[in-house]
Amino acid sequence: MNAVAVAPTGRTRPQPLVGAVEGVGRLTRRGVEAVGRLARFVRDTARAVADVGTWWPLTTLHARLLGVDSLPIALFIAVFTGIVLALLASYTFTGAVPLYFVGTLVEKTITMELAPVLTGLALAGRVGASIAAELGTMRVTEQIDALETLAYDPHAYLVVPRVIAGTLMFPLVVGLAMVVGVGAGWLASLLLLDLSTAQFVKGMRLFFTEFDVRYGLVKSSSFGFAVTLTGCITGMRAGGGAQGVGRAATKAVVYSAVVILILDAFWAVVWLLGRTK
Amino acid sequence: MRRTNDFVVGLVTLAGAAVIVGATLWVQQAALGQRESGVTARFRDVGNVQVGNAVVIRGVRAGRVKRIELADGGWVEMQMLLDPAVELPHDPAVLVSASSLFGEWQATVMSKSGLPPNPDVQQQIAEASGDRHVLPGASLPDIAQLTGVAARIADDVASVAERVQVAFTDSAARELRRSIGNVERVTSDLAVAVGRHSNNLDGVLVDVRAGTRSLNAAAASLRRTTARVDSSTSAGEITRMVADAGEATAQLRAAAVVLRAVADSLSASQGTLQRVLVRTDSVMVKVNAGQGSLGQLVTNPSLYHNGDSLVAELRDLVADIRAHPKKYVNVRIF
Repeated sequence: MNAVAVAPTGRTRPQPLVGAVEGVGRLTRRGVEAVGRLARFVRDTARAVADVGTWWPLTTLHARLLGVDSLPIALFIAVFTGIVLALLASYTFTGAVPLYFVGTLVEKTITMELAPVLTGLALAGRVGASIAAELGTMRVTEQIDALETLAYDPHAYLVVPRVIAGTLMFPLVVGLAMVVGVGAGWLASLLLLDLSTAQFVKGMRLFFTEFDVRYGLVKSSSFGFAVTLTGCITGMRAGGGAQGVGRAATKAVVYSAVVILILDAFWAVVWLLGRTK
Repeated sequence: MRRTNDFVVGLVTLAGAAVIVGATLWVQQAALGQRESGVTARFRDVGNVQVGNAVVIRGVRAGRVKRIELADGGWVEMQMLLDPAVELPHDPAVLVSASSLFGEWQATVMSKSGLPPNPDVQQQIAEASGDRHVLPGASLPDIAQLTGVAARIADDVASVAERVQVAFTDSAARELRRSIGNVERVTSDLAVAVGRHSNNLDGVLVDVRAGTRSLNAAAASLRRTTARVDSSTSAGEITRMVADAGEATAQLRAAAVVLRAVADSLSASQGTLQRVLVRTDSVMVKVNAGQGSLGQLVTNPSLYHNGDSLVAELRDLVADIRAHPKKYVNVRIF
């Protein structure tokens, strides 16, 4: 409701200061509402985890849809990332730095950053949009209402299996992307650069610790959780017919990408910074 | 359908997990199924060594660093896993150091006798020794420190070079070039002079050699003389010579007395001569002053003029006598 003042003649005129304050209050209310809806959604999903009988049979289905079927695109991205990274490293190291550091850079970069983030972004588009579109369609066609009518918990039936499948399968997909990416970098170094296998492996082993892999896998697991949860939230809140479903899918992709980048920074600050100091 | 999904997901999960774990272990060089022997070393400081760094024996990778932890007494204990076939060298010690310029470190197990002669290293090893179950360890300075020192040296060199550049102007370079040319000329002149005087030098060398021979002969002669002196001393000749010398000295003393008397008479004669000379000088002063007859004779020209006119008159008289003898001579007989 806009702030107005009643003029002596009976006409109203807006008051700018009151309107600005109202705008701030409106934004705050919407923000709190969004957080509240998210928290309520997460709470309902957490409660639904207890309904194992409902979500467990569906988990492998979604694990295949979200994880196994995503392997080709993830490995495709990893192959080209590894090749480009090896060439980029050799271009950067020319002269000053020994060429075997190509292996170091390829291993560190792919394992800790590029494989989780690029794969996460790719799966955000594929998985997030897919979930949002599917659940949005179910929402606008009132299938979810029908589930509730049939005493099914839609969170246990629709959200939990997808979130669990995404959280578990993302690390697997990213782990394989790591291996394939580093392998592609090695092949590129072998075939395109003046670098031997021994040199590449020497550089790769130089600063390798199992923490690199652990960091990448944990990060990718959080990405999987965030992408599937975002897709489920936007899909479950879809409305307005096919157009609403499209908007939900778009929102899912955009929000998932943003959340992935925020989580990437979060893990770097929380985990890497603690090890660096 | 569900079984198919389960199977596919399970297969992919197992395969993926196997690939990821296998690749990690391979890169980490984990020795599965091999029993590695553990060795612990203690240090005051392990530098930048990290878990997983190589352990090297005689330049060959023989294991890896398994664990690094702080221990009591200000020590750092580092546990290393070595390949089972590896034998530690005699009296071993562990030296951690940078293995490259890019931050890689390694632990080298070597005999204490093979440690670098660095006092700091030796002190660290001596301090860490004593426990039979723990190897003593030392760390070499980080390359970053060395490069820091090198950077400071480079800065100093750059500063010096800058100052040299300021001082070494074009004119200085030309003068230096000219000086070099002068030095070349001097060198060539010296070479010519040396060549020219080499014959002289040869002659000098010959003379020196001859002189050396003469010295040798003189030394031999002196030796013989010394022998004679020795024999003379033994025959009493020296005593006689001393007596003769005493007699000669007495005679010389008498002659000196005579000479002193002669000198006294000469001194008296000299006084007389001085007085004569004084008087003569007084006479001569008076003569020069025109005093006395002799002075008048020497200084007054009228006497000369009178004499001269007298001679002229005498010459006229003689001529007149010759012309008119009868005027002056009148001879009469009876």
